[in-house]
Amino acid sequence: MGSFNKAEQKAPILFLIISVVVTAVATMATVTFAMGDKPPATASKVSLTSMPAAGPTQPQVKSFAKVANPEIPPLAPLGPPPIPADNPMSDAKVALGKLLYFDPRLGGDASISCSTCHEPEQGWSFAEGISRGYPGTVHWRGSQPVLNSAYYNKLFAVGSTPSLESQAPSAARGGVAGNGENDIMEARLRLIPDYVNRFNDVFGEPWPTINNAWKAIAAFERTLVQRDTPLDKYLLGDKTALDDQQLRGKALYEGKARCILCHNGAFTTNEKYYNIGVPRATRWEEDGLAQVTFRFEQYAKGTTEEMYRNIKDDAGLYYRNKNKWSMGKFRVPSLRYTKYTAPFMRQGQFYTLEEVIDFYDRGGFDEEGRTTSFPETKTPLIQKLGLSDEEKEDLLFFIEALSGDEILMDKPKLPPYKPLFSQAELQTAQAAK
Amino acid sequence: MVAIVTTRHCFLAVTLGVSLAIAGQAVAAPEIGPLPVLKVNEARAELGKRLFFDKRVSGDVGISCATCHEPENGYANKDALSKGYPGNKHFRNAPGLINTAHKKVWMHDGRIGTNLNDVTREMITEDYIMNMDMRIMQERFKQDPLYVEMFKAAGLGEPSNGGVRKAIPEYLKTLTSRGAPFDKGTMSASAKRGMKLFKGKAGCVACHNGPVFTDGNAYNTGVKENFDVWLDPQRHQAFIAYAAFMGIKNYMNLKRDPGAHLQKHAADGSDMGRFITPSLRELKYTAPYMHNGMSKTLADVVAFYNRGGDNDRNKNARIKPLKLGKTEQQDLVVFLLALSGEPLTGSKHVWLKAYPTEYPVIANWLNVPN
Ligand code: HEC
Ligand code: HEC
Ligand code: HEC
Ligand code: HEC
Repeated sequence: MGSFNKAEQKAPILFLIISVVVTAVATMATVTFAMGDKPPATASKVSLTSMPAAGPTQPQVKSFAKVANPEIPPLAPLGPPPIPADNPMSDAKVALGKLLYFDPRLGGDASISCSTCHEPEQGWSFAEGISRGYPGTVHWRGSQPVLNSAYYNKLFAVGSTPSLESQAPSAARGGVAGNGENDIMEARLRLIPDYVNRFNDVFGEPWPTINNAWKAIAAFERTLVQRDTPLDKYLLGDKTALDDQQLRGKALYEGKARCILCHNGAFTTNEKYYNIGVPRATRWEEDGLAQVTFRFEQYAKGTTEEMYRNIKDDAGLYYRNKNKWSMGKFRVPSLRYTKYTAPFMRQGQFYTLEEVIDFYDRGGFDEEGRTTSFPETKTPLIQKLGLSDEEKEDLLFFIEALSGDEILMDKPKLPPYKPLFSQAELQTAQAAK
Repeated sequence: MVAIVTTRHCFLAVTLGVSLAIAGQAVAAPEIGPLPVLKVNEARAELGKRLFFDKRVSGDVGISCATCHEPENGYANKDALSKGYPGNKHFRNAPGLINTAHKKVWMHDGRIGTNLNDVTREMITEDYIMNMDMRIMQERFKQDPLYVEMFKAAGLGEPSNGGVRKAIPEYLKTLTSRGAPFDKGTMSASAKRGMKLFKGKAGCVACHNGPVFTDGNAYNTGVKENFDVWLDPQRHQAFIAYAAFMGIKNYMNLKRDPGAHLQKHAADGSDMGRFITPSLRELKYTAPYMHNGMSKTLADVVAFYNRGGDNDRNKNARIKPLKLGKTEQQDLVVFLLALSGEPLTGSKHVWLKAYPTEYPVIANWLNVPN
């Protein structure tokens, strides 16, 4: 019978519903501001007072980290990921989660699994700017790496879900992602005897349930972490783990290049939201299928009709709080494992880390001078850096030290379906009718 | 399956089913006879036709309505049990759609008693049928210049899911029987004898009556289960999803199709296995028969009735051995065949033109409104 997504949505009614949602969401706005740039007193002027020691007046600060600023947690070795109390880890659960992660039966037409868009060989993400979609569609954002995602407090480019447990269903169900309905996916699991046994073993319930499937996948994802990068080793005392060039890069990262302002702490992100000037993905101008999804996303995210008609870029955090000041802001991603996760940014606007560094060096502009579609909300923290070619290279090598060896995994052999009843059982039931 | 909207329609179907059942007992069977003429909005029907054969109506663009409802098979399908959305199969027979616009209750279990707009939505959104998020469908069609034109010509504005659900039912109205010997008055002597049996000794008309040959009520006629529903996990999974959504108790252990049980959920299960009386028109094209395709030919169907159906303690009292002779059985079959008209397989009913293989880019995208 379809989900709510698939249920009736006459256009005029839709926009009515939206206005209700908007008011409801608007109440979240104040909370959300605490997550990144604060709204200015007036929309045109951006105040820097709440920002750490950075800005046009102090471009020469040597190291933000050294300026004892409690708002900027220093780089640190990565600890184990947090494990929620209601989903403890166990080997059996992780093993089950691994199977499910690779099992296309957890998707609408049983043709794509989580791993299809989060491929181990593609940095546990998908190596195109905009991810592939559910068959017949294309996505509208780049697939993010699942590796290390256990450390985020909120998932997705705009932090729309709070946990891996609640992220998995939105991935499996979204119309341009898995497009699978809970009931059919759950029914499939129940007809795979190996899963029935495993779920029973892990969760102690007679039948597999879809919620337990998400829990198992989340547990598996929490094992996909990397904590032994050169930087981790260095910070844990192995002074040979970074070479001189990387150390120069580290100093730039923490100083002149300003990366530490946002990409800080053990996980190299403050998990706040900024508009750093990334320009619109050009694919939307060139690809009809991408245009279809672009409009669908506006519709699905409950924008106003006016916005649906006029918007031409991903408005980012705005979709969550419907506040103008959030237009074009995105979550600061971790820079760990980026050696393997190109392309970069929410729609893969840049193919290499070199391009990313050049982008920052220009103060948030690409090679052709393009920048954000929402200049009003661009953060003042992004400034021209004036890095020399050498410095850029140093920085690049340091960023690469945030990745260890590539983590690969063979696809497991998936357990087969089996009929639940035998011919004899069915005959007995028929005779007893 | 968590659609609140659909649940509502189930309730509507329930109300309708019940009131019809009562009416059915009080009044004499409505005469069998020709079908009324339906007024059709041509532009909308044309649009509906293009949609009916368009795979972009399904989630992964793998199937169209016509994948299961094939024109050459009376808009039914040769498979006993229907195909499903890729990755799934269905647990029931795909019914023929000719004359469906003349019905008041739809689906084998009668769960929709409102209109074809709702049936169309169900077909499009159901996970094991077309699994389509209609918001994506709508945006797909806005990206097809011919649809943009056709929706406008049909008075439906820009492509929308609401418009799709108006246009397809309009097209379904064009799928109306024409030229059946029964309607033209050209039945053979054998068919006429069969008609007499149908109305008399064989008692068929008690349920198969009115111009569509159905009273719209549900009965248990004692049709055997089709074990493939359970022996093929891809069917069983759809069945489980369906039974769970319909709130059928003990659905994991269920080994029979509950049918219209979902209307009243009788605690003792005495309403298990009731199915809506199907139309008997166009059967020439729509074999196999019954909700689960268990009868391969019309001769099988008649033999089934002649032996008083198969075992089921809930079987309707009307279904009992008929003691028809060989010729009588044949005459009945010949009569049933005289209810079939010309096939609706020409361009008037079938969209024969090719569909675009990709979505053209909207040029100047930045400067035109979405
Ligand atoms: C069709 C492609 C596709 C499939 C299938 C898919 N994903 Fe994703 N995934 C994406 C895209 C694209 C994003 C980024 C979406 C966004 O930010 O809005 C994403 C984001 C995520 C994230 C967030 C990571 C972060 O940094 O916040 C996680 C975790 C994730 N997916 C896990 C899964 C799991 C588990 C499955 C299977 C149940 C799955 N995905 C299936 C494409 C896909
Ligand atoms: C004002 C905060 C801020 C500062 C300062 C900052 N970044 Fe970022 N960074 C972001 C945000 C936000 C994104 C995501 C933007 C998007 O997807 O549109 C990002 C994305 C990235 C990415 C892409 C990661 C991925 O997985 O796609 C890289 C690489 C990166 N930044 C490196 C750097 C480097 C190197 C510096 C210093 C030169 C730096 N950042 C400074 C906020 C910042
Ligand atoms: C995957 C196969 C499949 C596809 C695709 C499909 N159908 Fe069906 N259709 C069925 C089955 C099976 C039933 C009977 C379902 C039941 O009784 O539960 C049915 C029932 C119907 C009915 C009710 C007929 C009656 O007399 O009760 C109508 C009308 C209908 N379909 C129209 C459509 C339309 C319009 C489309 C395209 C939007 C479509 N179908 C797509 C398989 C399919
Ligand atoms: C008590 C009501 C009732 C009577 C009497 C009855 N039928 Fe039916 N008939 C039904 C129902 C209900 C079905 C559907 C059963 C199912 O799908 O399992 C059906 C199915 C059929 C079908 C299959 C149609 C299709 O499209 O699958 C044919 C043919 C048929 N009946 C012919 C007859 C004939 C001939 C007689 C008289 C000998 C007759 N019926 C008497 C209720 C009745």
